[in-house]
Amino acid sequence: MPLAQQSSSVPVVVDDDKCIADKGCTVCVDVCPLDVLRISDQTGKAFMKYDECWYCMPCEADCPTGAVSVHIPFLLR
Amino acid sequence: MSAFEPFEQFDEVEDIVDRLDDPDPGTRRVAVMDLADSADPSAVTYLKKALGDEAREVRLQVALALAEFDGPETADALVVAVVDEDAGVAQAAADSMAELKDPAAADPILPFVTHESAFVRAASLRALRELKRTESLKPALDAFGDVDATVRSEAISVVGYLKTEDALPALMSMLKDVEPAVRRTAAGALGFSVTTAAAEALAQSLTDSDWQVREIAAETLCKVQSTVAAPALRAALTDEYWQVRQKAIRSLGKLGVAEAVPEIIPSLDHDISNLRKEAAAALGEIEAPEAIPALEAHLDDPDPDVRKNIRWALGRIRSE
Ligand code: SF4
Ligand code: SF4
Repeated sequence: MPLAQQSSSVPVVVDDDKCIADKGCTVCVDVCPLDVLRISDQTGKAFMKYDECWYCMPCEADCPTGAVSVHIPFLLR
Repeated sequence: MSAFEPFEQFDEVEDIVDRLDDPDPGTRRVAVMDLADSADPSAVTYLKKALGDEAREVRLQVALALAEFDGPETADALVVAVVDEDAGVAQAAADSMAELKDPAAADPILPFVTHESAFVRAASLRALRELKRTESLKPALDAFGDVDATVRSEAISVVGYLKTEDALPALMSMLKDVEPAVRRTAAGALGFSVTTAAAEALAQSLTDSDWQVREIAAETLCKVQSTVAAPALRAALTDEYWQVRQKAIRSLGKLGVAEAVPEIIPSLDHDISNLRKEAAAALGEIEAPEAIPALEAHLDDPDPDVRKNIRWALGRIRSE
């Protein structure tokens, strides 16, 4: 799987101000069937580590703080 | 689960409970989530305590987490959350409360049916519906006179779920409520009854000023297996809303009202394919030989579902 290059260009974006991964939350990481999300060692927040996605949405739906946005490409909508 | 806990079961709850007192609300919130995941029987007790947290996001998380639990203790915690000063917490609690399945959960909720807040009254009745306890009947019937329309609707649903013929007169009286939404709920709730009285009351609702009330009444009449409403259903075939006509056709078919056949046939030519589909099915259900020429004339209907129903209907009539 390709590593995600820049966080801004990947389909799943996490709002660091809202994310409470540094408090122990791992919901989005646990729920992703592709296992492409991680908690960053540097920021302590969730981020998309691998640029691959099924757009299946549980990461966005289950995040307790509404920090995750999945950007579905126009063609798939 | 974090990777730092090699002995997951061991001491887990104690460790989580310690974090409920952490100065950081984010940490307390995650502790609530972990508590919900722990499936520990004592979790509900701690969750209830966490409803006293000063941070709204912690209380919100508790209200959401309680949806995963059932029983009287859970209900006992949810009635605390449903009167929360924060509207988001209260709404989450109301939604979690509606997930309760254990009939014993009704006991802590029943006193809240007369709460001063209409939101709390409606939420309590909504939760009681699925719990189907006979003790809910009296407070629900009392709530038929509530000033709030949502409360009245929820009360009707509670009574409808209990399916007691004793409550029929009260339910039928709600077909005359000033609020269309309440009348709609009442029309749907009468579906459990197979009495002539219910059919007569629903027949009157076929001329309600609100078309959705008429639609639901027409639909419910096929469950109330009584043909006293047949004339009113036939009259509803000229309703200005095709949705009402569709449900009337369905009920006339299910009730096997042969007199309606000439009045149903013109719907085979309607623009709306759902109506043509329904008409074909009803004509088959009634098994009326006089419908054969009209059905045959529509064998090339542009809609495949309509064609399927027409073939089914013709097969059924001819096999007679
Ligand atoms: S679920 Fe939300 S809060 Fe939790 S780690 Fe993921 S982004 Fe952060
Ligand atoms: S949308 Fe699905 S596949 Fe994509 S990151 Fe979220 S959970 Fe993983």
